[in-house]
Amino acid sequence: MKTENEIMEIESLPLGKIISITCKGIKIRIWRSLIVVSGIVLAIAFLSYILCSDGFAQNVSKAAGSIVEQGSPEKIQELKDQRVQTYWMVGLAILISFVGIVNAMLMSVTERFREIGTMKCLGAIDSFVLKMFLIESVIEGVIGALLGVLAGILIAYVEGVFTYGSGVWSLLPLAWLLGVVAFSFVTGVIITVVAALYPAREASKMMPVVALRAEL
Amino acid sequence: MKQSPEKKETAEQAEASLSTNYVVRAIGVKKVYTMGAEKVHALRGVDFAVRRGEYISIMGPSGSGKSTLFNMIGGLDKPNEGQVYIDEVDIAALNPVELAWLRCHKVGYIFQTYNLITVATALDNVMLPMTFAGMQQADAQDKAIKILERVGLGERVLHKPLQMSGGQQQRVAIARALANSPSIILADEPTANLDKKTGLQIINLLKELNMTEGVSIITATHDHKMLDISDRIAWVRDGQIEKFQKRSELEIKEGEMHVQ
Ligand SMILES: Nc1ncnc2c1ncn2[C@@H]1O[C@H](COP(=O)(O)OP(=O)(O)O)[C@@H](O)[C@H]1O
Ligand SMILES: [Mg+2]
Repeated sequence: MKTENEIMEIESLPLGKIISITCKGIKIRIWRSLIVVSGIVLAIAFLSYILCSDGFAQNVSKAAGSIVEQGSPEKIQELKDQRVQTYWMVGLAILISFVGIVNAMLMSVTERFREIGTMKCLGAIDSFVLKMFLIESVIEGVIGALLGVLAGILIAYVEGVFTYGSGVWSLLPLAWLLGVVAFSFVTGVIITVVAALYPAREASKMMPVVALRAEL
Repeated sequence: MKQSPEKKETAEQAEASLSTNYVVRAIGVKKVYTMGAEKVHALRGVDFAVRRGEYISIMGPSGSGKSTLFNMIGGLDKPNEGQVYIDEVDIAALNPVELAWLRCHKVGYIFQTYNLITVATALDNVMLPMTFAGMQQADAQDKAIKILERVGLGERVLHKPLQMSGGQQQRVAIARALANSPSIILADEPTANLDKKTGLQIINLLKELNMTEGVSIITATHDHKMLDISDRIAWVRDGQIEKFQKRSELEIKEGEMHVQ
């Protein structure tokens, strides 16, 4: 085919261009994007809140009595007994975040199958579709996870003040706190990107009519 | 027309091999949809050829296989059997990137339901295929505005689809189909969602583009307003082409047509 050069041109639609198309897309459907992001925020806030509260409980039982000034010894013993419970609370928190984010992303991609089909009719190559959703989900994942971590930890500390008194501020070692931040953030971003990429990849490989027909 | 079918086919084949006179050729195309245990034979072996610059209408009742044929000859879906050539390229031999290139440069698609990106402006909709073709933003914008003016939407460039009437949306779709100066425009029931008057305007616009730009137009339709302006009509029934008719053959029977 005499068109070899031009084929290369399609293939190399520069990343900057794809990013700008994607950002424009996020902006024009800003409310939809915000709903997706808030889903991620909620899920990750819950996860980081549970991790943080669990951190308080663990450290309290380690240094029972010495750090906490206002908490009663009975209360501390009770918290110690709850350790087993909190393990599955953390497991549950991860599961809930997972389901919440996957649900939000699946919806946001599948409701755009028609748009994907249309773009493929107009000459979009599969990797363009994929990159578009990759970039979009990274942006949403990073913003959502960041806000979620902040919100979750804030809530945990506010609640901590009531449970443990002012000693709560020095209860968690900094490294521990950073660990909670990093784990929640990375979990949020990874789940978001994977949950978006799976349906996006399926859709990008479809023949255009199939994507156009896919009503979910 | 007294020719035997066999003779006619060889003549057509000879012509095709001599030059790239045909923009689209379909040979023995079959399509079966499987829905659970049930099989729907949507196309039962269709031979179809469109000459460069021709305006051809695929007519037939609902469910006869027009859209399926439309999808096959546009490279939007794969046949179970048979070949489709677009500009003499066998599209089954293309990889996904080449197929995308073909859709981008060679074919413009128009649908009954417009299929515009509803959140984007008319301008952005028309610019999108140009972006996929690698055109610079500024050039694409100039060209898109020119095309939108050409289809009578010079005043609506920054409107979004939902702020426009059906006829205007279909004009945006036509402008978008023209974006990369394709050799073929494929239109599936372009007037089905429009009232009579608007439908006629769209049909006339398509005909005008066919005359001035020399772009081949293939419409799948059951709108009889299409008959007057088509060079040729392919009558489809039950997944097969019943017959081809030239416009000249049609005019004699026009009275009959309206009775039908
Ligand atoms: N995706 C599909 N799955 C199953 N059957 C289909 C599908 N698309 C079309 N058909 C069937 O194939 C036949 C031809 O349909 P279609 O090409 O849409 O006809 P037309 O466009 O002429 O109305 C019909 O019987 C229709 O029910
Ligand atoms: Mg149809």
